[in-house]
Amino acid sequence: MEASATTRLHQEVEASIGRLSTVLGWGAGYDPLHMTPLFVRSPEDIARLVWNPLCVQNLTGYLVKSPGVQPPEEGKKIGICVRGCDSRSLVALIQEKLISRENLYIIGIPCRGTVDIRRLMNESGLSNIRSVRIEKDLLIVDDANGAHNLPLERFLARRCLRCRHPNPVIHDVLLDEPVTPRTTAEDAYRDVESLEAQSLDQRRAFWSVELDRCLRCYACRNACPLCICQNRCIAETRDPRWLTQRVNLPEKFLYHFIHALHLAGRCTECGECERVCPMEIPVTLIKEKLNQITRDLLHYEAGLDPEAVPPLLTFNPAEAGI
Amino acid sequence: MVQSVPSPAPQTSIRIIGFLCNWCSYGGADTAGVCRFKQPTDLRVVRIPCTGRVDPLFVAKPLIYGVDGVLVSGCHPKDCHYAVGNLYARRRLEVLKNFLSFMGIDKRRFDYAWVSASEGQRWQQVVSDFSERIHQLGPNPLAGKGIPQPVQGPLTRAT
Ligand code: SF4
Ligand code: SF4
Repeated sequence: MEASATTRLHQEVEASIGRLSTVLGWGAGYDPLHMTPLFVRSPEDIARLVWNPLCVQNLTGYLVKSPGVQPPEEGKKIGICVRGCDSRSLVALIQEKLISRENLYIIGIPCRGTVDIRRLMNESGLSNIRSVRIEKDLLIVDDANGAHNLPLERFLARRCLRCRHPNPVIHDVLLDEPVTPRTTAEDAYRDVESLEAQSLDQRRAFWSVELDRCLRCYACRNACPLCICQNRCIAETRDPRWLTQRVNLPEKFLYHFIHALHLAGRCTECGECERVCPMEIPVTLIKEKLNQITRDLLHYEAGLDPEAVPPLLTFNPAEAGI
Repeated sequence: MVQSVPSPAPQTSIRIIGFLCNWCSYGGADTAGVCRFKQPTDLRVVRIPCTGRVDPLFVAKPLIYGVDGVLVSGCHPKDCHYAVGNLYARRRLEVLKNFLSFMGIDKRRFDYAWVSASEGQRWQQVVSDFSERIHQLGPNPLAGKGIPQPVQGPLTRAT
């Protein structure tokens, strides 16, 4: 199935590359378990494109952050492969006028989920994995000992388990038939709710333990397609000086408040921040809570309507109840 | 005549930061002072040009570093000196308020209010209620965690 999706991807890019200055997609990485972002600039590179459940990176950040893609050549566009979650990042970037829709050729991929690679690597009994694919409820892993059928649920990334929009919400071409969302809107915030079922003190203890591991490596910020300040990020500027170089819990808390609050009403829950964290801190959970609040209070879900204005960038004088 | 009243200052030392809009609540607090309304003494006031200037991080940072309460007060909605600053603020602050508890910070340690320059009495009410609430909650459990400790290591000089 994924093999044919890759073939369709090749055919699609071959047909459109004449109109595109670069195509952003995924290619094989340093081992069969790791795919890597791939910038296709000439027809020879097309064969290197792949699509499989190990294609975990959200590529949309490359459109707005450096080192990123060069602006399109005169009369051409930039092609980009997006899963459902990535397409919502595109919508958010379009809303904030950080990219323009006219410059993009969006290759939409209905997505049945991506793998939490760390979890797969920790699974005993696998050695020298050659390939990974999804078939219905199974993750089929080919390794040195043959094919293993593993329960998909156990190896999907958390963001994919709670995904409500696996089909790109915006696209020029769709590579596959739309798939059914794994989660309903009611269920999407169950992780938030289960933490909330605990007492205030327990939650403080939970975050103190989790965030204490934070290295402030800023990988979560760097991977976030909507964290676009780059060298003006107030986590690092000396003026204003919000944070110091000191290593203590409050600074880590404050850093995560900065990231989360700057994403309030903007975060599309793509889960990149959590995926890249070397300390396995559930940082997307913090943003999920903020999104639950903006949903309940301001009736807004990020990354769906390119014409909408993110709720904290506007106001409503008639608003009652707050 | 100066009223002789028992000091409202409580026994435990509680620190509350108030961000007051220059055009309304700062004036309201002034009015309360001029009228000699009894007010709690544990509020440290920071004058701001507008509640629209209040970055939610102004609230989050002190609470993370152990301040016991933060109060933001500005002009009533639709009375903003800059027309809409407090309407932006209202959304941001309401979102923040709902968020704090998720991170383990009691949301009752933060509040926002609308008090105009002429509402000295209302200011007295708002600040007394808030201060009382914070006293009931007691000191912020995060206090003390952020005090920078000198680094102790093999190269630390004896002082
Ligand atoms: S904060 Fe995390 S989940 Fe939200 S958009 Fe950024 S990377 Fe994605
Ligand atoms: S990626 Fe993880 S360790 Fe690095 S700054 Fe973010 S939360 Fe901290």
